[in-house]
Amino acid sequence: MAVLIREHTTVHRGQGPTITRQRRRAFLILALPAVILYTIFFVGPTLASFWVSLHAWDGVTEMRWRGLDNFTLLFEDEVFLAAFRNTLAILLAGGLLVFMLSFALLLGMRAMAGRRFARSVVFFPNIIAPIVLSVLWGFLFSTDGLVNAALGGVGLDAPNWLGDHLFLVIFLGLIWTNTGFYVTILMAATDRIPRYFYEAAELDGAGPLQQFRHITMPLSWDVVSTAAVIWTISSLKVFDFIYAFGGTSNDLPPIHTWNTAVFIYGQTFGGRVPAYSFGYASASAVITLVSVIVFVLLLRRVMRRDPIQF
Amino acid sequence: MVAVNLAVLAWMLITSVREHREIFATPFDWPGFAWGNYAEAWQSADFGVAAANSLILVATAAVAVVIVAAPAGYALGRSVERAAASLTLYFALGIGVPVQVIVIPLFVLMERLSLVNNLFGLFLLYVAVSLPFTVFLLTGYFASLPGELEEAAAIDGASRLRTFWTIMLPLARSGLITAFTLNAIGLWNEAFLALVFVQSTDKQTLPLALLGFLAKQQYSGADYGVLFAGVAILVLPMLLLYVWLGRRIIEGMTLGAGK
Repeated sequence: MAVLIREHTTVHRGQGPTITRQRRRAFLILALPAVILYTIFFVGPTLASFWVSLHAWDGVTEMRWRGLDNFTLLFEDEVFLAAFRNTLAILLAGGLLVFMLSFALLLGMRAMAGRRFARSVVFFPNIIAPIVLSVLWGFLFSTDGLVNAALGGVGLDAPNWLGDHLFLVIFLGLIWTNTGFYVTILMAATDRIPRYFYEAAELDGAGPLQQFRHITMPLSWDVVSTAAVIWTISSLKVFDFIYAFGGTSNDLPPIHTWNTAVFIYGQTFGGRVPAYSFGYASASAVITLVSVIVFVLLLRRVMRRDPIQF
Repeated sequence: MVAVNLAVLAWMLITSVREHREIFATPFDWPGFAWGNYAEAWQSADFGVAAANSLILVATAAVAVVIVAAPAGYALGRSVERAAASLTLYFALGIGVPVQVIVIPLFVLMERLSLVNNLFGLFLLYVAVSLPFTVFLLTGYFASLPGELEEAAAIDGASRLRTFWTIMLPLARSGLITAFTLNAIGLWNEAFLALVFVQSTDKQTLPLALLGFLAKQQYSGADYGVLFAGVAILVLPMLLLYVWLGRRIIEGMTLGAGK
């Protein structure tokens, strides 16, 4: 009897670790292909760009150590500074406008019939290639395009948009193409707010703006803050939309419209005579990445509120 | 306040009209003269070859991403392993890294593997850059599935791999389709990596063909008919997909933010 029990317990003791080991093995088999691929083709290159940014390199000959020289040079480079300013303008001013517009649209669409359809229409640019949007947008603002025709109709001067105000056109275009995404996110968030809050507020005499400020904003705050993070990340990724304003596959758009993404491309593979300044461009890549991190952390901090349960 | 609302409404209407114009401008061209434009775009502007390249590349890459990401999503979304949480974060961080940050090391890496100007190389890159978002999406999806079936399978003695394959994978079908669709859309529209890694005309994708056509136009004068035929070749498949799977697409793309 004693022997039997002992045998029994040993079987049990042996089984525990086997199951854990099996689970762990299954976990590895399932997760490993993705981890390996992601590490080699994504994480590796991310870390490598830090290393490359400390060198002078054309990708072919030997790397030469430069320390932080690339970075000091970048901050004296008018082209880079303009690109960085543009990136920040898109991120900050563009972001502000996108969110203001999104909320405005949200208010406007609240009582509307067919808002599902309206939502699909507003969201539509998100599934279209940015270069197509860029072509269409440029078309609207061309010398004899719709915008000028409309301005002419009201008797105003028709400016040379694409020649004199190209960055403004790009900036407005980015707001146009992106707003739909945020309207959709915010709509999902505000739809979760129970109607009776608004009814109660109305009884107390609160107008739409007060309702917005005291009900909609606080109750959708966590979604707004996540959306702000998404905007930060995606605004730094913008490339195609600006690039296509150069008009061709081997020319770059005018320098004053560059953002840091176009700058990186322009310093390496882009243009008729590619520069292949890998080290220099990597330094600006590092600055881009650091900006992402700084802005996301900052946003997280600024926008942190205690979540409201409802 | 009424005025504000009206202004907002008006703005929205203008936007929607704008978009309608886009949606419908190209189809309205058909009856008149546009069939010739399509033929022209297809042949002389190389959209035909590019469409075939895009189709094969996007279809295989989007399938491959899901094949690689689904097991990982399952492992990360439904494991008690301590590694799962940190690996989930490891993948999520990749979503914040812009492609232009990694393109230089990637180029050197691909050159050493002699995979530059090579559609298989581009396929590999497309799979890799789509991984962070797809794993993130599917991890969330698998985590949201009910656990009872999985427990029942475990009690019946099914191994974890078997449970994944025969029970959880079919259960997650809807999430997998969403992941496939979103990646197909993103990759179909992708221009940056294609621009860097493809050099010859016979290997270019549709966005490149469009950019190339814009270049040609600068010398030979603008032919908006053909240009918009080219644009339509790029847009119409996405439009069809949107009409067909619109809600799924919208919900999938906005998933990260809305809780």
